[in-house]
Amino acid sequence: MLLKLAWRNIFRNKRRSLITVSSIIFAVLFAVFMRSLQYGAYGNMLKNIVSSYMGYVQIHSKGFWEEKTLDNSFSLSEIEQLKKQEGISYLSPRIEGFALVSFSETSKPVAILGVDPALEKEHIKLDQKVVEGNYFSDTKKGLLIGKGVKEIMKLSIGDTLVFLGQGYQGSMASGAYPIVGVIDLKTPELNKRTVVMTLEQAQELFALPDRVTTAVVGLYHDDWQDAQQETVAAIDTNMLEVMNWQEMLPELRQLISIDRAGGTFVLLILYSIITFSLFGTVLMLTEERSFEYGVLIAIGMEKNKVIIVAVLETIIMAIAGVVAGLFVAFPFVLYFNINPINLSGQMQEVVERFGFEALIPTSLDPSIATTHAGIIFVIVLVVNIYTLQKIKNLNPIKAMRK
Amino acid sequence: MIQASNIHKTYNDGKVKVHALRGIDVEIKEGEFTAIVGPSGSGKTTLLNIVGGLDTPTLGEVHISDTNIAQLSENELIDFRLNHIGFVFQSYNLIPVLTAKENVEFLMLLQKRDEEERNERTTKLLKAVGLEDQINKKPNEMSGGQQQRVAVARALASKPDFVLADEPTANLDSKSTANLLDIMLRLNEEENITFVFSTHDQRVIDRAKRVITVEDGKILSDETR
Repeated sequence: MLLKLAWRNIFRNKRRSLITVSSIIFAVLFAVFMRSLQYGAYGNMLKNIVSSYMGYVQIHSKGFWEEKTLDNSFSLSEIEQLKKQEGISYLSPRIEGFALVSFSETSKPVAILGVDPALEKEHIKLDQKVVEGNYFSDTKKGLLIGKGVKEIMKLSIGDTLVFLGQGYQGSMASGAYPIVGVIDLKTPELNKRTVVMTLEQAQELFALPDRVTTAVVGLYHDDWQDAQQETVAAIDTNMLEVMNWQEMLPELRQLISIDRAGGTFVLLILYSIITFSLFGTVLMLTEERSFEYGVLIAIGMEKNKVIIVAVLETIIMAIAGVVAGLFVAFPFVLYFNINPINLSGQMQEVVERFGFEALIPTSLDPSIATTHAGIIFVIVLVVNIYTLQKIKNLNPIKAMRK
Repeated sequence: MIQASNIHKTYNDGKVKVHALRGIDVEIKEGEFTAIVGPSGSGKTTLLNIVGGLDTPTLGEVHISDTNIAQLSENELIDFRLNHIGFVFQSYNLIPVLTAKENVEFLMLLQKRDEEERNERTTKLLKAVGLEDQINKKPNEMSGGQQQRVAVARALASKPDFVLADEPTANLDSKSTANLLDIMLRLNEEENITFVFSTHDQRVIDRAKRVITVEDGKILSDETR
């Protein structure tokens, strides 16, 4: 009977119920969309820099990250046993070095990345980053250059770059390789300084036979904390170091932390506004209905039962509002996931200066929706404490006099 | 049955103290059809509220069926009202989302009476007030007179010791008033139901069997016809 009463009360004053449900829908839509945008931006940063370039976890010779010299390299046989670990899907060996490249009358220092073409193609999808020319093949060895390098040095496919630098154990590194493709690493800073060659070519250039500077640890899922622990447990940590993306890119981690804190603050403000707005609605509805509550109590309905009816009404409207809010939010979130917001003008410059792509897609992580829908549901219930308190203290005579 | 002794009620209206009732003694027996009359502000509604356990006296005691209602806790009082007192209000105050049948049945549901008894009593009461063909109508689909008759049926549904009616005809036209009074009198005579109502409607006063006149918070006269 109480449920029937609550249900019918909702439909009695449709406009009133619509106002309440609409305010909940708006709250859910705004909170979910805002957070999806924020998490989407982080996701994109991680995708661009971590999952499609650095990997979540890397293995280096101890001290390499502090002093990036080729002398801090290691043999792949030292990490062979890792391939048998459960959470690790692959190990991609790399050589990371530096050299001066020259073409015609232009010279530029670049970061050289020697990679296993097949592994990088399969796992990092390096081939998909080729925007001009071709990816490596058995017959086409050469260089993939960042599109920034191409623009700065005014290069074309087929041009040959001359390398000059320092190789393993103080040897001279020199060589000349043709450009086979141009890649877009989605990060302007990387594009301006990256030249990719095959591992074989890099070993030859730097006189580093059978050695690498880096091994990217491929994961079956994004749980890099577990993978890092697994890796540490399986290798000789006196000789090698295992680093996660947060350790390798502390500025990115800090940026995300600061932005997340800022987002949380904005969200708190938003939730405060939502809370006061919902409280205003509840205040209005409670005052409007105190006469009715007074009558029910006067004729013999226990206050607890009146409270149950009021709570049921709130719960039904909150569920309707939250579910509808999620339905309304989903197309927006999906649209901006497929068509990310493209920053332009000063915003674009600022973001690119930090080395990130000026795109903000929304995140489709369902936990964002459930978390914020849940928070708003709780807010709705909390603001209704006023109604419950009002009913608890209601004097039927005074209520009916109004 | 109802015994109110030395009832005083004082309100604080801002800085001014208002003495609504100044020592009322009244006894109402089972089967009476009593009108409490008086001009506006005389204290008749306050007296009715105190007798009905909706308000508490500043001084004095109200005994209903040997229970001193002043000693009951809030929840006990609500429960007492549910099981012992029926209410009819000036503006009907039916539950707008429920049909006539559901409104009458409502108090019996609160009393946890079984379905068969509820159906039987609801049908009987709606028939008694002449609304057996309106059972599925909601209050906004009925006239004021019809709504007040549903309110009478609702007041009787819980099998109360007596029915308190505050200006029950104030919003009714003369035809509806006469109709309602006929029903209430018939229930009083045939089923020995006790009615106590406040009114200043002469049509009601004329048909009451006992008239208690209140003025300035005191009983001015008590006439049994």
